[in-house]
Amino acid sequence: MAALCTEFGDLVQIKKQLISVILLCKERGLLHSAKWASELAFALDPLPKDELPPSPPFTEEDAQDLDALTLAKSYFDLKEYDRAAYFLKGCCSQKAYFLYMYSRYLSGEKKKDDETVDSLGPLEKGQVRNEALRELRVELSKKHIAGELDGFTLYLYGVVLRKLDLLKEAVEVFVEAIHALPLHWGSWLELSNLVTNIEMLKSLSLPDCWIKDFFMAHMYTELQMIKEALQKYQNLMEAGFSKSTYIISQIAVAYHNIRDIDQALALFNELREQDPFRIDNMDTFSNLLYVKSMKPELSYLAHNLVEIDKYRVETCCVIGNYYSLRSQHEKAALYFQRALKLNPRCLGAWTLMGHEYMEMKNTSAAIQAYRHAIEVNKRDYRAWYGLGQTYEILKMPFYCLYYYRKAHQLRPNDSRMLVALGESYEKLSQQVEAKKCYWRAYSVGDVEKMALLKLAKLHEQLNEYDDAAQCYMLYIQDIFSCGEQLEHAEVSTALRYLGQHYFKNKLYDEASLCAQRCCDYNDAREEGKALLRQISLVRDQIETPSADLFAPLSNNNTPVRRVSPLNLISFTP
Amino acid sequence: MASVHENLYFNPMMTNGVVHANVFGIKDWVTPYKVSVLALLYDMTSSKISLPERRRLNKLILPLQQGPDLSLGQFLKTVEECCPQTAYAVKLRLHEMADGELKDMEYFFATLPTPFSAFDSEAYKTSVVGLFMRHMLLAYNKLSFSQVYKLYKSLQHYYHSHYAKPTDGQVSLPALAADDSEMDLTSTEDTVGDRIDKEESDLPLHESELQNDNTPSRGPLSQKQAEYFLARQAYLLKNDENKALKPAALQEELNNMLKFNPDFAEAHYLNYLNSMRVQDIFLSAHSLLHYFDRLILSGNEGKSNGDEGYGRSLRYAALNLASLHCRFGHYQQADLALQEAIRIAQESNDHVCLQHCLSWLYTLEQMRGSDSTVLTEDSVKMAAHFCLPYLASLGIQSLVQQGATQGKTAHKLMDALKDTDILHWKHSLSELIEISLAQTTSIWRMYGKSTMALQQAQLLLNMSSLEPVNFGVQQNNTEAFAVALCHLAELHAEQGLYSAVAEILLHLKEQFPSHTQHAKLWMLCDLKIQFDRHMHEGKYHLAEPLVTAISALNKTEGLYRKALVLKALNRSTEAYSILQRLQMHCEKKKCTEVVIRVMLSTAELHWESSGFSTALPLLLQALALARQHHLQSLASKTILHLAFTQLMLGVPEQALTVLHEAIEPILAHGSVMDRGQALLLTALCQMEVAGFRPNRQGQADSHMTVLAVNTLNEAAAYFSKLNCKEHLRDVHYLQALLHRSLGQTSQSNKSAMLFRLLDQELQSPAPPVSMRL
Repeated sequence: MAALCTEFGDLVQIKKQLISVILLCKERGLLHSAKWASELAFALDPLPKDELPPSPPFTEEDAQDLDALTLAKSYFDLKEYDRAAYFLKGCCSQKAYFLYMYSRYLSGEKKKDDETVDSLGPLEKGQVRNEALRELRVELSKKHIAGELDGFTLYLYGVVLRKLDLLKEAVEVFVEAIHALPLHWGSWLELSNLVTNIEMLKSLSLPDCWIKDFFMAHMYTELQMIKEALQKYQNLMEAGFSKSTYIISQIAVAYHNIRDIDQALALFNELREQDPFRIDNMDTFSNLLYVKSMKPELSYLAHNLVEIDKYRVETCCVIGNYYSLRSQHEKAALYFQRALKLNPRCLGAWTLMGHEYMEMKNTSAAIQAYRHAIEVNKRDYRAWYGLGQTYEILKMPFYCLYYYRKAHQLRPNDSRMLVALGESYEKLSQQVEAKKCYWRAYSVGDVEKMALLKLAKLHEQLNEYDDAAQCYMLYIQDIFSCGEQLEHAEVSTALRYLGQHYFKNKLYDEASLCAQRCCDYNDAREEGKALLRQISLVRDQIETPSADLFAPLSNNNTPVRRVSPLNLISFTP
Repeated sequence: MASVHENLYFNPMMTNGVVHANVFGIKDWVTPYKVSVLALLYDMTSSKISLPERRRLNKLILPLQQGPDLSLGQFLKTVEECCPQTAYAVKLRLHEMADGELKDMEYFFATLPTPFSAFDSEAYKTSVVGLFMRHMLLAYNKLSFSQVYKLYKSLQHYYHSHYAKPTDGQVSLPALAADDSEMDLTSTEDTVGDRIDKEESDLPLHESELQNDNTPSRGPLSQKQAEYFLARQAYLLKNDENKALKPAALQEELNNMLKFNPDFAEAHYLNYLNSMRVQDIFLSAHSLLHYFDRLILSGNEGKSNGDEGYGRSLRYAALNLASLHCRFGHYQQADLALQEAIRIAQESNDHVCLQHCLSWLYTLEQMRGSDSTVLTEDSVKMAAHFCLPYLASLGIQSLVQQGATQGKTAHKLMDALKDTDILHWKHSLSELIEISLAQTTSIWRMYGKSTMALQQAQLLLNMSSLEPVNFGVQQNNTEAFAVALCHLAELHAEQGLYSAVAEILLHLKEQFPSHTQHAKLWMLCDLKIQFDRHMHEGKYHLAEPLVTAISALNKTEGLYRKALVLKALNRSTEAYSILQRLQMHCEKKKCTEVVIRVMLSTAELHWESSGFSTALPLLLQALALARQHHLQSLASKTILHLAFTQLMLGVPEQALTVLHEAIEPILAHGSVMDRGQALLLTALCQMEVAGFRPNRQGQADSHMTVLAVNTLNEAAAYFSKLNCKEHLRDVHYLQALLHRSLGQTSQSNKSAMLFRLLDQELQSPAPPVSMRL
């Protein structure tokens, strides 16, 4: 960490760099990068007047293009891209060239979006594409080979390549862009979208800059390596970025991903205090509130966001969650639909809508929604899991195995998938597989504490008494060790079984202990007392030995309460 | 940032979060092709055309209207074949529009005869043409401003892309030639981007993009085109796989199609079929489930749990999953899926689906190797009850197959097959007719009636299919054909016609390339034939490596062949242990044929240790088994073995009478090898009966001796056909002895010389004649 400290030692230097890059981004209309850098700069201490970085050198070319650039920039800001491009044609400064190309690109994108509205029928559906892309690519690649591209134009070239699905080339160009201009967050972000696994991440050669740490932390979150991500963010906080809302929100999201709900909630509350009009990431926050069933807080959040901006995807998701918590599922679905209208590629909304349809028992619509979610992102384990649940509700345990397996593949260490798999196997009377699943679910850390109980019952069914007893033991330990009494805990069942088991094995001390504990629970009190009586009877007889009188008690199993099909929602980010 | 504009993204076509292309309620869309058809119709109504030409054009209208969009070249060619004059007029009209301005197209639509006014013409509102015109006009009128312009643009592109290709064999008329050059100019403007692109070929262009540039056909297909494509490929996959696209190419096409139209569920199903071709379990399972997920969506409008609703597709989804696992040999998985399907079908009282489940159930049982006769019988009964002829006769065929292996009497089987045949012809179930013929071939072959088998195989191969011949495909790519051809090859091999065999195998290889699912049939057949041939010719070292290949395809057969090779190489102990194991295994599996063959081989092993009397009970057992199962060829083979044993035990008269029983069927139906062996044995018996001893000359019955010589001559002819040198050597040896005893010295010398030549050629010393058959 020593290297990190020295790197971050000069916060003043970083602040200076940020200020200059904000200016550069603003001049080029790269709003999101400017926003990111500004947020970060805001988190650092302000600089005294004489330390402010000098404005970048003003060349002859810049002076020449100044008027055209100013005109074009104002057109650009008003979204008149073609007009901006027209007036920039022929300008030779780098800044003007970037703005020229960027306006052409955005014009193409805008037209593409407009085209989709009035296409000539299904024939052209999906055929619509940004016509400008190919021309841009030809021109940019010419300049690229000549080595005339600066950091920003390289970034644009990368975006064009990505849009043309030339992903390999795009990665190379983005890396180049990052080397040319490490401070431009946009290039890093685009690159992060193209990195698919940790091996690929390691193979990239990235410049040694403080911003790389932000990138790595972001990447770790994306690749579900939450521990590493948290560590990175912690280091950044210690290095002096503790006030950055960006980092706080990222940590909160990371905690959400590993289902550390309380930590995440605390962070989000802190975030809302610092930045009360923030809308980004608020859908994640609402998911957390939903899980905790914090109705008033969720309601407050929803109303607050509607006041800020009701036509944002996040706002719609929050409202959807709010209605869902109030069991008004039709309205919830409506709001998720609205979110999807605003952005059809919004993954979370598809999945959440699927959950709502499931609540409404509209299985086919739910399947449709989940399938859409998978189409947007094949790695969305929640959608696969949702599909599995749908088919489980349709009583097709074998069919849903496939989907659960898919979900499990994507989240190998998530006990919920394993328990679901185990349940399906149990329904198919594949006890061996079911046992494996339950045991694995317990080993990876069972959230709902159900796996052991199910495993124990399975052992009980298979007449494997010792194993069952052991599982019940572990279960009881597990339940008590986590302190709070879980709502669905079936400690009494476990105790009852253990009491009987010890009794059969003539371990009377343990048996009586269990029986006494049984008496703490309403549903097992009578049986506990009966067992105690029996024990004392037997103990008397041991003193006066005679034929064994005790007949085994009937062990009536209370059925396991069915877990609501939507128990997954409690952890959806 | 790239995500800026994504926030702009707002698609009003979405309702309920689903993109509906058909939001304006327009069913037909005006496309450049449709405009051309309109131009054709317009010209047909306006100009004078001679009667035969008009008739031809009229016949063309319906396919043109309803078919997929054609390119302009294809369209004009079709029209020109009917009436060159109209084609020219259409071309002229399109040219006017494409080279003119937008107003020309608007003018065209304005001048179209309105179906409401034209009472006398064909374009009256209720006629087919009128309806089409009304549809088109309506669609055109509903287009927005920008859409009209887009339509015009695409019309221009449509027209010019036809002329951009110089290879097109279209004979342009002289009047248009001048215009053509002009059009070339305009077209350069259009494709200016492409030209630049091509000039910069030194740039590292990505491959996929290059493909996009060079193949204009790879765009999105229209709904109809896509359906046509899918239907055609699916049909080809079923009937003649070789004519379908290669798996990789088809996959690419499908990916392309799904990219442009992700809602096209049928493409997923074809994807599943395609993945099955290459035995890709992951992709096929994925596609199958995806298809049914999609199907559930589309079937949603119906009742939720009745016959129509998605409950139905759920059942069939589970059933299909079962069949998938069944095909990949995952029997347990298949069983579970099937149970699920059955349960759902029972819950919703869907007897038809249940029936399908039942037929899969017995198939599964059969594949697992357990007896499923009862299940099958039930299935047939139920299928007949619910009027499902296909399933019923499929069940009967499966019963016949089981019956044949279990030794049911022949006439019962044949009767059953005949009954199903009546059913097939009544319902024109051509697929089942083929299976039935192939099955008959197999049964005759099993019974050892090679002539009948030959006839049935020829019948199948020469039958013209009942299927309507689509896409120029004769249905000859099914398993039935593969089976029949394999039998044909084996039958020819038995007669020693190896060149014919090679030809048949070549055909099989072409018809069923090695990656297809029926390829294993001919592979095994090919290997068996090669093996037999090498064994006959005594090239054991060549036969040995084939054993591994055979065991890869069929374990039992491989083991049996291994024993044969070991026996031939005189490694008797190993051979014996293998045969013992094999017999145990096959008795358990009820493979009667193999059991009998194993017994015969074991008996031969006993001979080698002169244990003739120990061989006897084995042979008698084999004979009983063969007779019980009506396996005639095996029975006659057993009799041969029996006769030889008796001969060796010193009762040649008995042997001869026993032989007489077998010689007739062998000569009629047996293979060349069997015939040769039978005759050789007869000769041996005759010699023995004649009291012939090599040492004591002149005392033998000369009549019998002459008879024996003739028999040997015949046997020699058979053996030489197969190039079976070892047996030939024996024959020549015996011939030499006999001739000498008859005092025919020159013939004797000749035979002796032949014997000597063969003996030198063969490295192994000749075993005593008496030791083998």
